[in-house]
Amino acid sequence: MMKKLLSILLVVALAIGMLSACATNTSSSTDVAAPAETSAASTSTTAAPEEKVVLKLGIYPADTDEAAIEAMEGVITRFNETHPNVEVERAYYKYATDNIAPMAEAGTLPTIFESWFTEPQKLIRAGYVRDITDLLEARGWLDLITPAIRSLLSDADGKVYGIPRDAYALGLMCNVELFEEAGLTNPDGTIQYPKTWEELAQTGKKIKDATGSSGFVLLAGEDLGADGWHFSNIAWAYGAKLVTDNGDGTYTPNLNSKEVVDAMEMVKSLKWTYDILTPDPFSEGWATGFTQIGTGAAAMYIGANDAVEQPTANNGLPVDKLSLVPIPAGPGGQYSLSGGTPYMFAANATDAEVNAALDFLVAFGKAPVVDESTVESLRAQAATKLERGVPNIQRFPCWTSPEIQAAEDAVLAEYTNVNANLYADYFAAVSTAGNLHTEEPGDTQAMYKELGKVIQAVLLDENSDVQALLDTAQANYIAILQEEGILGK
Amino acid sequence: MEVPIKIKNHRWKQDVTGWLIMLPALILFAFFIWEPLFESVRLSLFAAKGYHTTDFVGLDNYIGLFANPDFAIAWKNTSLYVLCSLVIGFVVPIFMAAIITESPFLRGITRVSVYMPNILPGLAVVLIWKFLFNAGDTGVLNILLKPLGELVAKISGQVYKPFNWLTAPGWAIPLIIVMLTWKAAGSTALIYMAGISGINPDIIEAATIDGAKPLRRFFSITLPNLGSLISTMFILQIISVFQILYEPMMIGGVHNNQVSVMMLVYEYAFDKQNYPKAAAMSVLICIALLFLTLIYFTVNKLVNRDDSKGRTKA
Repeated sequence: MMKKLLSILLVVALAIGMLSACATNTSSSTDVAAPAETSAASTSTTAAPEEKVVLKLGIYPADTDEAAIEAMEGVITRFNETHPNVEVERAYYKYATDNIAPMAEAGTLPTIFESWFTEPQKLIRAGYVRDITDLLEARGWLDLITPAIRSLLSDADGKVYGIPRDAYALGLMCNVELFEEAGLTNPDGTIQYPKTWEELAQTGKKIKDATGSSGFVLLAGEDLGADGWHFSNIAWAYGAKLVTDNGDGTYTPNLNSKEVVDAMEMVKSLKWTYDILTPDPFSEGWATGFTQIGTGAAAMYIGANDAVEQPTANNGLPVDKLSLVPIPAGPGGQYSLSGGTPYMFAANATDAEVNAALDFLVAFGKAPVVDESTVESLRAQAATKLERGVPNIQRFPCWTSPEIQAAEDAVLAEYTNVNANLYADYFAAVSTAGNLHTEEPGDTQAMYKELGKVIQAVLLDENSDVQALLDTAQANYIAILQEEGILGK
Repeated sequence: MEVPIKIKNHRWKQDVTGWLIMLPALILFAFFIWEPLFESVRLSLFAAKGYHTTDFVGLDNYIGLFANPDFAIAWKNTSLYVLCSLVIGFVVPIFMAAIITESPFLRGITRVSVYMPNILPGLAVVLIWKFLFNAGDTGVLNILLKPLGELVAKISGQVYKPFNWLTAPGWAIPLIIVMLTWKAAGSTALIYMAGISGINPDIIEAATIDGAKPLRRFFSITLPNLGSLISTMFILQIISVFQILYEPMMIGGVHNNQVSVMMLVYEYAFDKQNYPKAAAMSVLICIALLFLTLIYFTVNKLVNRDDSKGRTKA
């Protein structure tokens, strides 16, 4: 009898244990809903005739970033003064390739979130983001997006799915302290930076001999994507055309041309002839490169205007000791890879929600129009940079809007903390016609990976056959494109 | 005639309780193990938009895998990982367990300390070993071995150069396996220790009285008695090392030298968001493991049959 009772008890306990997980969920979801309702009631009494809208703000800063949270709370307060019907839900979301799909499928993506320049096309194909063409059109923003960036954010039919937060163009970041130690400075405080890749090798050597620090950070880490991303700048400078877009959705790669071989030989010489690379290029990735120049372990690294906080505030380089100069040229010219950080919108967001998000961007100072709160936001952001020791430099134009540009310039003049000459040549170069080059089309990440493997191989073996390695890369990339059905005839 | 029926009835009653107790576990098992398993087989036969399957494409996803330039390399590397782990890592926990149980001193603290690495988070372990293996003058191993290296260089008349551990040809996989062994051997040793403690102490005592030294006792008593345990651990180790993923992914080094099959699954799923191909690759891995397990069981059966025949003859 006792045994029977015990076993029944056991079964009941197990069943309850199993079901309890579901139970907790339902109760907690009502918990969340409750305060939302009360706040709805209070806002509706403040006299908003419009429909109540919940804006899930995925661009809210991370818990740890107190300065940014403070600035963002200011923006939210100002925004709610003009938009009392919008309830801003603070929904910090950091984009990652392994969390986007589950969140999108579950319909829990924030209304607005940031992504990476490589992602929009994938997200559009998967149906995770929504078309906002009409909403932008209605606001007159559509034609204000810089054309090169607009194409990154559009599908094949020209429908636009996002707007740019920032644009970037790659340049060469230099640790000014090391240039000073090696005596490579000009009287006006600028540095004698290398103008070509050959000069880069020699400058790197001078710095290494004078200071003992490495001359240049070349990426050859296991994350092969960034390796190829940087290398494509070098290849273009040597005159290479890595991929031809046939215009019909197919692409013809050309990874083993003489120009690419020359560029790769140059990379090889950085290791075997000049020996100016960091001790282990195979452990260098996008972030470690900034650590190397930030801590003075290396002098030069390919970096963009939107990453100036990395060597300085994040890795300890004094704010006035960073210089961003044009990326070196080669026999084929000078090209800076440019792209942008996009704001994207959840596929299930309503028009009202997206409009609320776009209005929020105006208040945040990231839209092509200016209202009272825009300038205040720009000031707050600039003040935060000053406080954190981030160089306050001009933004790379992602909108062709003189209005926002003027507002930004005015704020910049107020909050300057660096010698503008250290950045002047970079901005001059990237605004030169024909200098900017968007990423190669096709399966870009796969191409980067194949190029990354070649970079690893030439750094491993002094006697490696560059042509043969690139032939393999070409064959591999052709196979990949063919399998994906986008290889040109 | 009636008696057996009564017994049957009684059995059934007994069984109901058993099944009821198992029911929650079975439901969870079906939901979290079997359903995803079948679902991934199904997914691997379809085209998809995100997670939503669209058209049935048959074996296209599988055929597409072969176009991946890393496909063959990944299988080769994975086999090397398994082979290396059997050569380097398999006997370590057995000896560890034997030595700890034989040793009369500090048994408790040794047991804890060999298990220690196992409670560290996996990624932290990789990062620690990354520091050890760093190339150039800043790697811990290079710092430690520098005096020795300089001495050797002096004798052989060469110039001393720090060793590039992970990128030197042929070194990556064995080094990753050394790291893996360091982390996992302790927990396996614990299982062997439990096995050893299950051996009848009378036998060991008798052998000791007969004058058998520890080494002899190990080979003649401990090892044969652990036989079935060892063969189970053997197949478990193959299965677990076959699925090596984050260690080679995080430690740095040269892509082609260390890419594994699970890394391809990760790449398809999370870099390319091509879930059907990721599923197809997983199914292939599953089939490979089933195949290996099958071979193992067949061989095991044959060996055991011969074994028992031998015994009966004796």
